Amino acid sequence: MNSTPDASVPATAGPGATRMSVAPSLRTLAGWPWGAVLAAVFIAVLAGITAFPQSLSGDDPLSGDITQSLVPPGAEHWFGTDRLGRDVFTRVIYGARYSLLIGLAAMAISVSAGVLLGVASGLGGRWRDEGITRLFDVLSAFPAVLLALLVVTFLGPGLFNIALAIGIAGIPKFGRVVRSQTLLVRRADYVTHAVIYGRSRLDTLLRHLLPNVLVAVPVIATINVGSAIIAVSGLSFLGLGPQPPTPEWGVMLAEGRDILRVAWWAGVFPGLAITTSVLAFSVLGQHLQRRFEGRL
Amino acid sequence: MPSPHPVLKAALLRLGSALLVMWLAASATFVALHALPGRIQDILAGDLELPGLKEAISAEWGLDRSLPEQYLDFIVRIAHGDFGSSYVMRQPVSKIIGSQVLPTVTLALLAGALATLIALTLATLTAGRPGPARRLAATLELGSASVPVFWLGILLLMAFSFRLPWFPVSGDEGWRALVLPTLTLALPTAGILTQVLREAMEKALEQPFVTTVRARGLGELALRLRHVLRHALLPAVTLGGWLVGSLLGGAVITEKVFGRPGLGTVTLNAVLSQDVPVVLAVVLLAAFVYVLVSTALDLLYLAIDPRLQTP
Amino acid sequence: MTHHRSTLSSLTALPALSLLALLTAPGSAWSNEAGVPGGQITWGVTTEPACFNPHRSSQQNAFLVIRNYIDSLVGKRSDGAFVPWLAKSWSVSSNGKEYTFQLRDDVRFHDGERFNAEAVKANFDFIRNPKSSAAAASFLEYYLRTEVLGPYTAKVVLSQPDSAFLESVSSVKLGFLSPKTLASEADLCSGGPGLVGTGPFIFEQYQRGQSVSFRKNPAYQWAPAFAQHTGPAYLDRVTYRFLPEYAVRTGALSSGQVDLIEGVQPTDISAFKDVAGFKLLTGPSSQTSFTLNINYRRGVATDIRVRRALRDGFDLDALVKSIYLGTVPRAWSNIGPDNSGYNPRLAGTWGHRVAEANKLLDEAGWTGRDPQGFRTKDGKRLSIEVGYPQPYVRDNRDLLIQGIQAALRKNIGLDLNLRIVSNGEWTKSLTEASWSIYPNTLNPADAALELRDVLGDTGFLYNKTVPDAGKVDTELTGLINEARLQSDLKKRQALLDKIQQIAVDRAYIVPLFAPHYVVAAKRQVEGISFEAQLDSPSNSHDLWLRK
Repeated sequence: MNSTPDASVPATAGPGATRMSVAPSLRTLAGWPWGAVLAAVFIAVLAGITAFPQSLSGDDPLSGDITQSLVPPGAEHWFGTDRLGRDVFTRVIYGARYSLLIGLAAMAISVSAGVLLGVASGLGGRWRDEGITRLFDVLSAFPAVLLALLVVTFLGPGLFNIALAIGIAGIPKFGRVVRSQTLLVRRADYVTHAVIYGRSRLDTLLRHLLPNVLVAVPVIATINVGSAIIAVSGLSFLGLGPQPPTPEWGVMLAEGRDILRVAWWAGVFPGLAITTSVLAFSVLGQHLQRRFEGRL
Repeated sequence: MPSPHPVLKAALLRLGSALLVMWLAASATFVALHALPGRIQDILAGDLELPGLKEAISAEWGLDRSLPEQYLDFIVRIAHGDFGSSYVMRQPVSKIIGSQVLPTVTLALLAGALATLIALTLATLTAGRPGPARRLAATLELGSASVPVFWLGILLLMAFSFRLPWFPVSGDEGWRALVLPTLTLALPTAGILTQVLREAMEKALEQPFVTTVRARGLGELALRLRHVLRHALLPAVTLGGWLVGSLLGGAVITEKVFGRPGLGTVTLNAVLSQDVPVVLAVVLLAAFVYVLVSTALDLLYLAIDPRLQTP
Repeated sequence: MTHHRSTLSSLTALPALSLLALLTAPGSAWSNEAGVPGGQITWGVTTEPACFNPHRSSQQNAFLVIRNYIDSLVGKRSDGAFVPWLAKSWSVSSNGKEYTFQLRDDVRFHDGERFNAEAVKANFDFIRNPKSSAAAASFLEYYLRTEVLGPYTAKVVLSQPDSAFLESVSSVKLGFLSPKTLASEADLCSGGPGLVGTGPFIFEQYQRGQSVSFRKNPAYQWAPAFAQHTGPAYLDRVTYRFLPEYAVRTGALSSGQVDLIEGVQPTDISAFKDVAGFKLLTGPSSQTSFTLNINYRRGVATDIRVRRALRDGFDLDALVKSIYLGTVPRAWSNIGPDNSGYNPRLAGTWGHRVAEANKLLDEAGWTGRDPQGFRTKDGKRLSIEVGYPQPYVRDNRDLLIQGIQAALRKNIGLDLNLRIVSNGEWTKSLTEASWSIYPNTLNPADAALELRDVLGDTGFLYNKTVPDAGKVDTELTGLINEARLQSDLKKRQALLDKIQQIAVDRAYIVPLFAPHYVVAAKRQVEGISFEAQLDSPSNSHDLWLRK
């Protein structure tokens, strides 16, 4: 399964982590390469159709005209219809919310737990640090897909459980980065000054430590939303996610697989949707990373 | 006089850490199993309703004993490779896994080898050379890393099994049946590997020794292969564990797309029938393999890191 | 000349005539060619048998594998007549309670032991023993004992006349395992060479998740009278590969990895029909139709108006025609249209009355609507769950239910919640009587037995261990019990007709379509047929490879 190695390795989803790497020469738009602009626009559209799918399609994603089954793409059905006569374009549009929201939910779990543990580890004494680092090691030893399988075996299938599983699997990615950032910042001057001035620990934490530690998080998160989306749709493809007739992209690909011989469109468009979404997040994330690195 | 002790010490530390992680992983699954609501017998039985089943499970797992005793027993058994029995399949788990592991390992190894080969080739050829080739390569890598494994498999099936009947749609007979699954599993991983490798190479290319070597008149390709690669491989070697994990996870999905028998299929069926012992065993084994591989690679790293060689 | 009287046969069984009839039997793929011995064949099948023991298996799609090593006392021909198999002949006592079977004397189990009256007794006693948890025990409901009158004469004594007995005895579920196997207390479900039968093939090897293979039994001379040839199988070895996915099976045949497949979905028929190098065969209509069984004792389904609304709230014709591309007919009863027990007068009497369905639901008080468009009453959504066990999903049936789900939502605002559940979950819901709708076709059996399995008082609708599981329709269960005991054919059929009519009228069942098996094969594979009682493709005994 596509998973990105965690940030203990310099490059996550793309080049550009080192200051001295050769930047590809791209035309820019207000300082942003046009690739990143496209990506940002696409993500905005994705967010839009997650919230308001009706804006792009008036059809019902859950029912169709049974006499219009397996119609190839054409004027009336841009992406064709599936076996139950449902419009594939509409289903792809409505499917965006599942991949996006669950990907984000998984990310949220990874981020919150990762940050908490990373800060605790970075601030803690030797044993706490060692312990939490080992915890990260253990978590990253389990491949995300298999961890998700274990969670589903215990808790049953469903979108929430999948999000939980992927979220847990992603904790080390954030945890390690936050930990190293915490270790750095902890010894920084302004923190020492804050302590000397008698600020409470909590105050120091919130006002000085966290903001500097967390600066890297949105970048990593953006890059990794892509792999979360792939993971969610992959697990749904395996049948561990939502049940039909939910128009989730992975589920649609699983259904389309049976009729590829006679209906290529059922196997192409949902996959295209996944790939472009992931691409958009990766490109945007890469760009943010380059900027972030540049600022260091 | 070069002292082996720092390296040896580091190696031992690494090994100890590996064992620790494996023990922690096993313990984590034990904790997870016991932390779930409901009795263990019920969980392990999944959804089977056979007379005497729960009692048999209790006996086998020693559920009437104290928790520390159970834990010790659990760890000892795992250390011996005994993962208990699957009640759904009425067989010892180790037997089930043993009979199905070969096709999966074959696929994973081949895919891993292919991915590495692609990564090495592309990175060597395009590192540090701005221009269309590099841009194209970068785009392709980004693309392949964004493509879901199962979709790639479906596309390859459509192109090379349905349209052009070159390769079989499913199964595992003959070398032909391995081609598409290997490609499917290898390409997304190759994308990420290439990025990492190329970047490491570019970093290495900026080292001073490169100028020296070039000044001596060594050709570019030879330079890259003989000198730079070694430096570039070091950070990439640490990716080995991740690679293994990614391949194993991807194998599950690839086996489903191509109808190949193997550990992935077994695990998926086990998940769907709530066969906890099998899933537990497979997941733990994957974790162990990851730890072993990354430890071995780390030790290798220690051995070959030029910075650790004393003059 | 011995005579055999079968109470269910539609033929008058005069000896000479039956002999003639045997020779010119219609309905079996009779071929005039002699088969060529030798060779191996690989099947691609949908389902991996969950249990290889015929006594304990209820998995329809496993029977075509099991039949290779299991024989029965009598065989059922495609026209419904019962013909000799392991029993040369049989007679029934005048009170209908004693069946005396004259067995062949040349039958041997795969381990060399003789098949004789003792073996019959051992098997039937074993099945009947509650400790064996044999699903087949339901066939031996009135079984008292087997008396061994001679080495090859067995008399089965029943407590009551059983009009279904011959049909039951022709089933693979009452087939014979060697008494040594039975006594060994091994776990017979997991297959393996320890599973010793008398069939044309010997169990060779079982690779879980992959395939099962059998080798020829060279001593086989006791094929059923409906087989295309007597004598041993032509093939040296036959392998059944488990390929649960449609595209994978189709692909395996197209690329030549297997020689024939069962379970060709309608969209793949064009890959083999009239295509050079392949052939396509369609079996007879199944003995029972794929039906939604509604647990009328629970939840919203206790209201007959809701059930009728569900039954009539969608256009079944259009759905079936579209999904199955016109290859199968929609159903009017849960008994199949080719089953002799079918009530043909039910055709056209129900279904697709959306306006009326809506009126019924309004009357029943489901007048609210929630934001998704489903009806509500007192804030609760009109929702019924369909729990479909994963191992039985095949033949695009889940797709059909999805189509119904979409239609019901659109037409009448009813939420038909389809869930694919694990086998264990289904079993649990059965024992707790918590299931709402169970879709299935039944294992082939006598029609009265089939009706009783669902709607009768021992059927899965009536879980005795849950005392307050709801009211019982005693008129229906009474009729079923009566049919069960009725030996007069015409009176029995009248009862069966009435039972089906009530079941459909009160919407305890919603029959969907009459499935059939589709087998696709390479052109060289000959001798493919369908066994009537098995309700599926025959075993591989008659298969041979044309060079």
